[in-house]
Amino acid sequence: MFLGLDKQDRNKLAVKDNEGNQLTYGELSAEVAMISKLLKPRSIVFILCKNTVGALVGYLGFIEGNAVPLVLCSGIEIGLLDSLLNEYTPAYLWIPSEMVVDFDYPVEFDKYGYSLLRTRNEIYPINDQLQFLMTTSGSTGSPKLVRYKKGNLEANAKNVAKAFGWTVDERPICDLGMQYTMGLNVINTHLYVGATILLTTYNLMSSNFWDYIRDEKATNFTGVPFSYDIFYRLHFEQMDLPYLTTLSEGGGKLTNARFIQLAEYAQKNKKRFIASFGTTETSARMACLPAELALYKPGSIGRAIPEGELFLIDEEGNELIEIEAEGEMCYRGPNVTMGYAINKEELLNNDDFNGEYHTGDLARRDADGCYFVTGRKSRFLKLLSYRVSLDQCERLVQEEFGIECACIGNDHRMDIFITDESKKKYVLEFISKKTNLFKTLFKVFVIDYIPRNDSGKIRYKELHKEPER
Amino acid sequence: MKTNREKYNCIFTELFEVNESELNDRFNFGIASKWDSLAHLELITQIEDTFEIMLETDDITHFGGYENGKKILAKYGIEM
Repeated sequence: MFLGLDKQDRNKLAVKDNEGNQLTYGELSAEVAMISKLLKPRSIVFILCKNTVGALVGYLGFIEGNAVPLVLCSGIEIGLLDSLLNEYTPAYLWIPSEMVVDFDYPVEFDKYGYSLLRTRNEIYPINDQLQFLMTTSGSTGSPKLVRYKKGNLEANAKNVAKAFGWTVDERPICDLGMQYTMGLNVINTHLYVGATILLTTYNLMSSNFWDYIRDEKATNFTGVPFSYDIFYRLHFEQMDLPYLTTLSEGGGKLTNARFIQLAEYAQKNKKRFIASFGTTETSARMACLPAELALYKPGSIGRAIPEGELFLIDEEGNELIEIEAEGEMCYRGPNVTMGYAINKEELLNNDDFNGEYHTGDLARRDADGCYFVTGRKSRFLKLLSYRVSLDQCERLVQEEFGIECACIGNDHRMDIFITDESKKKYVLEFISKKTNLFKTLFKVFVIDYIPRNDSGKIRYKELHKEPER
Repeated sequence: MKTNREKYNCIFTELFEVNESELNDRFNFGIASKWDSLAHLELITQIEDTFEIMLETDDITHFGGYENGKKILAKYGIEM
């Protein structure tokens, strides 16, 4: 069975959520087996995810049944959902039951607060190695999908579990959404070792979340940098959390100050802090820094996980073999996915990556073989760890308002430059709505003209030099 | 000089871009549109800056909503 669920101790608690549902491995295996028979094989099913047992059994059961799920956030922006529905014409939807009224499709089955809808779409041919689909984290307009092949998710579950030393005694608090590559990875990794996963839909800033961590004696937490911003705002370092022994981070770069804070917190409290790095294209994690090195290598993502290999290439694509080097960080391993899809025909494509992925992140490698991410080659930001394409945002603004637009920024804020003062407020609202990210992550600047070079390309480095109107 | 209530309402109406008429006991964290954790962080910061107080962890996590927030601020001597 997928992730070896049926090999675990049948009586051990596998999963619990905040809606009062819980299943042992025996019960979970039975549900997965039952759900695996519900869908026609090789059909595409959209799952609108919440971190609940309902969403989880659907995801596991559909994969077991050789259907192909695309995981999306249940709060997905409606325009984006429509464009995905139109493009990929899924045969089924697995959605929270309270959302059934928003769709005009018959319900074939429901359980654990989720309902299976059969759309009017036919099954269409897809590649036989395709197992799973995910959007590239976060989205603007119509996002690319990442195509996972059979074996990716399980290989990563196995190797990350080994790298972290997870055992059957772990009780991870699963806060990151399962529609997000790292959120799903935490879930998969712990199911793989037979641990008890504590799914939560509670917000980190609400007392419910902290009560849950304490009441359930959660043993580890995985967050993105923003999660730790919240932790520190709530002075978690003063909280008594005796069972929480491992803190892990991924999905973005912590500031050095925060990294050191977490490493020192771990050392002082005899806990482990493990920084990691991953992408949607690598199902998720590629590397992690062993806890004992956290204090000595602030900002490092460590070394490749078992069965994986990190390497660096120069601008011509040649691999850098010197021990200490700097270049574009790449990875080889069984968790590298098949490639992207921008339309349903591309779901037929074979493996484009062939086990090797170029991250587009720049990194340096030190004398101990530890990697440090130093920059980004491609034009995207990670706002709250959601990948947002700068070029895509420019296009969206241009199309919506018919005005010139240039976008730059860093992982804390996107700066949007326009020349039409009357649109300033509307552009901010529009981009915030399209990306589903709060407006404080964006700032709109009105300048006289967008600086360009002779071939018309925007000179991004000159933007902040223009006087603001 | 704005009253405490005016200052409090102003923080909400500007941050969430809503009318004062929408500020009631149903305007709550996680339910009201745009009131997610990032907005909550921003809200807490603005409240702390405006009223010159430092909220305790429990008060941040129990803040809950527009009406409940007033009760919490009363603990800090901010009357509305």
